[in-house]
Amino acid sequence: MKLEPIVDAIESLSVDGVTVSHWQAHSSASRQLSLGIKDRETGNAHAPLSLAEASSVTYLLVWSDGLVCRGRLERHQDPRRAFEEARRTAYDDEDAAHVLGPAEFPEVQLYDEATAAIAGGDTGCIGDRLGWIRDAVAAAGSDTWSGSFSAGTAETHLRTSAGLDVTSRGTTFGWFVSIDGEIGDGFSARRAESDEDFKSRLSALMETAALARREVAPLPGGTHAVLLHPRVVENYVLGTLMQNLDGSAVAHDESAFDRAGFRSGRASLRKDIGLSIDPLKPYRGGSYRFTGFGLPAAPCTFIESGRLVQPILNLKYARRLGLEPTPVPFGNDTVSFGTPERLDYREALEQTDVVVLSVLGVHTQDRVSGDFSLSAPLALRIDDGALEGRLRGTISGNLWETLRSETLRFVEIPLETTPGMIVTCRFDSK
Amino acid sequence: MLRPLEDLTALGAEMARRARGAGIRLIWRTQIRDSKWTVVRQGRVESTAATTLAGHGAQVISGDGHVALASRDDFEPDQAVALLDRVITTAHAGERLGLERADAVDLEPLQGREVPMDPVAFGNVDLAAVSSRLVELEEEIVGRVPGPTLSVSFRSELDAWRIFRDDGSDVLFAMPRCVLSLRATGSGDAGRHGVSATLFSPDPGLAFDDDRVDLFLTRAEQAARLATALPDAPAHPAGSFPLVIDYALAKGLAHEAFGHATEADGFRSSILAKEGRFKVGETVGPETISIVDEPVAGDHAWQPFSANGVRRERAVIVRDGRLADALSDPWSAPSAGVRLTGSGRAESYRNAPQPRMTNIRIESSEPLEADGRFEDYGPEEVRQLLLEAGVFRRHPKVAYLSGYTGGQVNTAGGDFVFQCKAIYDLDERGATLYKPAIFSGSMFGALQSVREAFGPLLLDAIGYCGKWGQQVPSSGGSHYFLVLEPHESVRLGGRE
Repeated sequence: MKLEPIVDAIESLSVDGVTVSHWQAHSSASRQLSLGIKDRETGNAHAPLSLAEASSVTYLLVWSDGLVCRGRLERHQDPRRAFEEARRTAYDDEDAAHVLGPAEFPEVQLYDEATAAIAGGDTGCIGDRLGWIRDAVAAAGSDTWSGSFSAGTAETHLRTSAGLDVTSRGTTFGWFVSIDGEIGDGFSARRAESDEDFKSRLSALMETAALARREVAPLPGGTHAVLLHPRVVENYVLGTLMQNLDGSAVAHDESAFDRAGFRSGRASLRKDIGLSIDPLKPYRGGSYRFTGFGLPAAPCTFIESGRLVQPILNLKYARRLGLEPTPVPFGNDTVSFGTPERLDYREALEQTDVVVLSVLGVHTQDRVSGDFSLSAPLALRIDDGALEGRLRGTISGNLWETLRSETLRFVEIPLETTPGMIVTCRFDSK
Repeated sequence: MLRPLEDLTALGAEMARRARGAGIRLIWRTQIRDSKWTVVRQGRVESTAATTLAGHGAQVISGDGHVALASRDDFEPDQAVALLDRVITTAHAGERLGLERADAVDLEPLQGREVPMDPVAFGNVDLAAVSSRLVELEEEIVGRVPGPTLSVSFRSELDAWRIFRDDGSDVLFAMPRCVLSLRATGSGDAGRHGVSATLFSPDPGLAFDDDRVDLFLTRAEQAARLATALPDAPAHPAGSFPLVIDYALAKGLAHEAFGHATEADGFRSSILAKEGRFKVGETVGPETISIVDEPVAGDHAWQPFSANGVRRERAVIVRDGRLADALSDPWSAPSAGVRLTGSGRAESYRNAPQPRMTNIRIESSEPLEADGRFEDYGPEEVRQLLLEAGVFRRHPKVAYLSGYTGGQVNTAGGDFVFQCKAIYDLDERGATLYKPAIFSGSMFGALQSVREAFGPLLLDAIGYCGKWGQQVPSSGGSHYFLVLEPHESVRLGGRE
């Protein structure tokens, strides 16, 4: 959708004598190709080869009487009529009634021609990789496998009544494979990784799947040194941290971190832990040129040396908390989390009783209290630093206590941008 | 709101004609979903929004059985026809990628229309008036339970579909959904804890329906009291215990532990199938227990037709303790060796439908009495039920798991997990509150453990179910309470 006719409609709006005094309009046009594999069946009726085209505009309107409304305009809608309808949803929110003006925007490498070609229908790369997966699954004698591939392009254009006018063009590529319905791995970024890296990740996955078929004696229930795989760290630890750093949660006292904690200078987590983002990294899934409200992308630190530096703030909650807006996390591959010192993987295994590769029930946990009680259906027992075989169990503890614990260690894991974590928590085998 | 779909009759016929001309099978899904919501916090409107999702998806099966799907977010006739031509070409090219050949049952052409609410009422929802009402409700809850931070929200949604097939089928249906929600966050010396409460109605006037609002306030008050008490509550020990679960958790058990494993598209890896065929007749629970899935009128997950244009059937997944029906669609039914139940659901026109649950419940053939409303039962009243039924003679202490906050399952291994809102240890002397913990284990162990059921069926436990990247509304329930015997494969999480 072109923004110009939509801007014209906004600027000429008048509903019962009320006009629009400030506005923001953000258009997005995307095209995507995806293909699923379900239980060895490539592109069956439940996971077909799919082509999708979409175009929409999200908007914020600040009316001349001070009320605000926001919404999404789709291609089939008449803009003027949609905005008139939107006026009926307008409400009073002084903090939300602002838009950004022009700024210097960084050039970030987000677009890849080869990925755009896949999104346009050139499936050669996907075909090659499907072949390698099928070969690996056959060689391993796995019962079944499922997965997906996708590639997309998107063009966005953001304008505001304050003169901001910026565009961006990007691609996305991702895949995921799970073996025997239980263990999976994948990759996503702005472009495909090299074939060599793809094969390395696939090989590591097949090795782990083989280990997972070997059941071993359960660990005695109790407190253990548990290595959380980076996927578990991303799903549970980073997910919980980001929700509690969210400006809305902080402003409404719905976060484990209160407002005073961001100003006090005291450490809320262990003194060597940090959390920051860098959305300028080339071709990362979490990279971008500007946020949805028009702030230029830039590196940003949220936790430094265990201290809360700032919440994740859009314009509205920045004003509400009297702080500056921040860039926002968009993907885990641009997040830097943990301590400067990290154990290497082999070293870590020698200090660990069990590796938890996946957990069930992350979305059911209370994010504020930090209490966790998660099913770990896929874990590997370690004996003298060697991976022995599969365990099933539950892990439980409290995340905030874990992140303040002196026994916590961060671990560098090959091919992963997020570290693993050795935590001391309860592991009960099933 | 339905007008754009009603205007598609000629285009639907043209799409079907073109498909037949090209020698392909076509399912053409068109959809409009109008949503409005408002959130109130601390006496003021925090946000409101109104959005529309609309577009179409053409799923084709080529003459040699290859499947492809293409979607676009408008109803422009020329663009729709062009998209159909493009997706036909894509399907024909499927051989290069080694795409699977689809084998579907032959379907009878079907004409149908189900629109249970006046669509105009959804268009007329006045968010300003609803927001003012939510401010009043928030004040009422604060008056009853001072202390916790509250967020009160309302969402209305009319999700309308029209589905055409090349065989002349044409069904139109609209699913009304409205939800009042509360999130209460309590603080204590040991940190903060959040608890939610919801109430569903198909009526967009929900916030002004005195009876429904009264029920919502009762649930909201209970949630706010729990949020106040939980931050300083102790953690429950881990282990296997005799349990009481409420109807919302029983919905979680039915949904996570059994429902997903009976979805026939996953039968090459499901623990309830062997070599792709459903294990019909296998004993999985006591003879007194059945599990039923069906669309229930006026329910959050009600859907009268599948996203493939097939009428949705009642499925008795477990009949008297034995596996009976699977949840199937035209592609999964033949290979799974099960009857077609029309269970295909999709989040939107962009997605390929999957066999999914609607409203799922656990039924006992021998329920014991529990009078009054479910909301009348606090931990003390539940304790009294157990006392009168003699449960404490078998087990001096029983863990009562109250409220459902979501779950997950691995259908390959039969491992499930779900989380409650709170745990109470009940014994002959009283009830002690603990922080929530996960309830996890083997689906067979859990269902085999069900012993007593108390009260009538209550089926309004709502949620959203994720599968293959798609979210669809779910719901269900059971009798007010189920008692589960301790089982080594079923554990309560915990910290000590």
